[in-house]
Amino acid sequence: MNAIKNTRKMFPFLLLLMVTVCPGNAWAVQSHGAPEGLYVHQLAHIFYTAALGYLFWGVRQSAFKSQGWRFLQIFCIFMIAWNVVAFTGHFLAPFIDHADYTREAGYLSTHLQGPFTGVKLWYYFTQLDHLFSIPSLFFLYLAMKTIYRSSCEDEKI
Amino acid sequence: MTSLPMLPAIMIDMAGSLVIIILSFLSLRYAWLLLRKQSENFLWGFLFYFCLTLFCFSVSRAVGHLIKQILLILDNREQWQVLAPYSGGFNTLLMISLAAVSIYYHKGIEGYRAIQRKAHSLKEANDQLEISADKLLQLNVDLEDMVERRTKKLSASEKKFRNFFINSKDMVYFCDSTNRLVNMNSAGLEMLGYSMEEEQELKLHDIFCNEEDLENYLETIVAVGFVEDLEVEFLRADGTVIYVLLSATAVFGENREFTGCEGIAKDLTRVRTMMEQLASSEKMASVGQMAAGVAHEINTPLGVILGYSQLMMDDFTPDSEEGQSLIVIERQAKACRKIVADLLKFSRQAESARENILINEVLSDVLAVTEHSLNMDHIHAHRDFSEDLPTVVGDTEKLRQVFVNFINNAHHAMEEEGGGDLFLSSHFEEESNRVVAIIRDTGHGIPEDVIAKIFDPFFTTKSVGKGTGLGLSVSYGIIQEHGGVIEVESPAHGKEGELQGTAFYVKLPVLSGEPVSVNKK
Repeated sequence: MNAIKNTRKMFPFLLLLMVTVCPGNAWAVQSHGAPEGLYVHQLAHIFYTAALGYLFWGVRQSAFKSQGWRFLQIFCIFMIAWNVVAFTGHFLAPFIDHADYTREAGYLSTHLQGPFTGVKLWYYFTQLDHLFSIPSLFFLYLAMKTIYRSSCEDEKI
Repeated sequence: MTSLPMLPAIMIDMAGSLVIIILSFLSLRYAWLLLRKQSENFLWGFLFYFCLTLFCFSVSRAVGHLIKQILLILDNREQWQVLAPYSGGFNTLLMISLAAVSIYYHKGIEGYRAIQRKAHSLKEANDQLEISADKLLQLNVDLEDMVERRTKKLSASEKKFRNFFINSKDMVYFCDSTNRLVNMNSAGLEMLGYSMEEEQELKLHDIFCNEEDLENYLETIVAVGFVEDLEVEFLRADGTVIYVLLSATAVFGENREFTGCEGIAKDLTRVRTMMEQLASSEKMASVGQMAAGVAHEINTPLGVILGYSQLMMDDFTPDSEEGQSLIVIERQAKACRKIVADLLKFSRQAESARENILINEVLSDVLAVTEHSLNMDHIHAHRDFSEDLPTVVGDTEKLRQVFVNFINNAHHAMEEEGGGDLFLSSHFEEESNRVVAIIRDTGHGIPEDVIAKIFDPFFTTKSVGKGTGLGLSVSYGIIQEHGGVIEVESPAHGKEGELQGTAFYVKLPVLSGEPVSVNKK
């Protein structure tokens, strides 16, 4: 009886040993192509946008009415906008050809050539995504600062 | 417009990346400060981790962008193409992390709110508990104060009543349902002549002189609940009797059962004696006035009768029948005049001489005259005179008459017994500044029911013809006239205790200054 019990206990180890010693083709491992990185990044933007929307809604639901929490909501709005801009920027990038850029004297002299379509113009606009991300982080900074000070004042009271 | 320069975008990207790093760092700093202040606060914890992840994402992205721009400016596109997947990968990873942290907010805040609600209810309960504890503490303090105040009041009250109990000059006592005296103040014990040790053994039966008084007292106190101004006689430890005015209240238990009584008794012996003396004095005074009036009214016709009878005696020979009758009339008239003279002496209407007298001499003179007669009847006289007695002021003759009266009375009392002893003594009583002469016999004594009447005029226990009943009345009048008092004891009391016979105490004041030769009242 003991011998049978010991054999049962040893079975997983024996199987692992057999697989290691006698390898074959591991078809279960999936290969990843080049566009997958872009898709993942884009999905991350969507996930981040949804999370920011959820945070905005959550803060609104939480009934935190102080100035700091309002700044945090503004941060969410700007960050969602930035995500939209960044997402569209990534999306439109494949539609811009290398020939659309001209460079006369180095990288800093790069120009986007016409004729200008909506795609080209929007793509150009998406390169200025910091116009959304900086205000967004500025409001986050204000939110943190305000919440901290308000907390200090509450403590004094 | 045929082309758009990318330079603004490049510049904004580089500058913006730097600004983003700074802003995300500042946000992280405030989040960290918040967390440091209240590490247990979920909100600050969330904000800190959110800012931390955002800071990582911002730095990763900004640094990636800066490197990209720098490498491209430096025309190292190949290097950037090597680094770009790593930068993008990091950015993606951190963005997903940031999204993951963000979605925890809502659930976290729900948990936080639930905890806050619990904490709030706990705090409320704690506050209520604190309020209750404060109230309880206040109540306790109030209770302590109240107890202290009540204790002080009780102590003051107890002290007040204890002082009253201890310092009262009247007897205050408490007794139980078996009539045992459980507590009596020192004035009461002194009044009864008992010691503190004997107090525990005392019962009401021991101190009530008359059984009827005690029965009456107990019946009344149980039936009515109190007795008021009850005049009773108490028996002292030495056997003497005192008169007290007694007021007492019954004490009842929870079931209305009699558990004892508490009472106050005032010693009225002195008051009663004084009242008796006052009544006696008033009686004597009125009798004296009446006697004086009668004596004056009788004296004149008596003189006329005596005068005419003596005149008529000249007309008849003594041997004749008329002469014999006149002699009888004269003798009886003289006897009447003697009585009238005694009445006048009693009522102090007679003249008195005032001179310095030595009582011992007066007593010796009287005894010298009467001793032979006493010896004839087997009565032995004993003298016990104190030496160096101060003189008293008075009429020697009258005082002799007083002592003769006392010795005659003693003689009569002992004559019936077939003999006896007569003790004459004298001493000086310093506290009252009086000379005391004592005449004590061993005769049959004076019955208790007549002792109060012996000084009344014409009161006598002798057979008809043997006495007029004026002897002690006259003596009383004379001693009163001398400012003294007569006290009588029957049976007499000596050092050996109660003695057979009667003792008369004649107490005369020792007057300072020159005596008045004659005093006519």
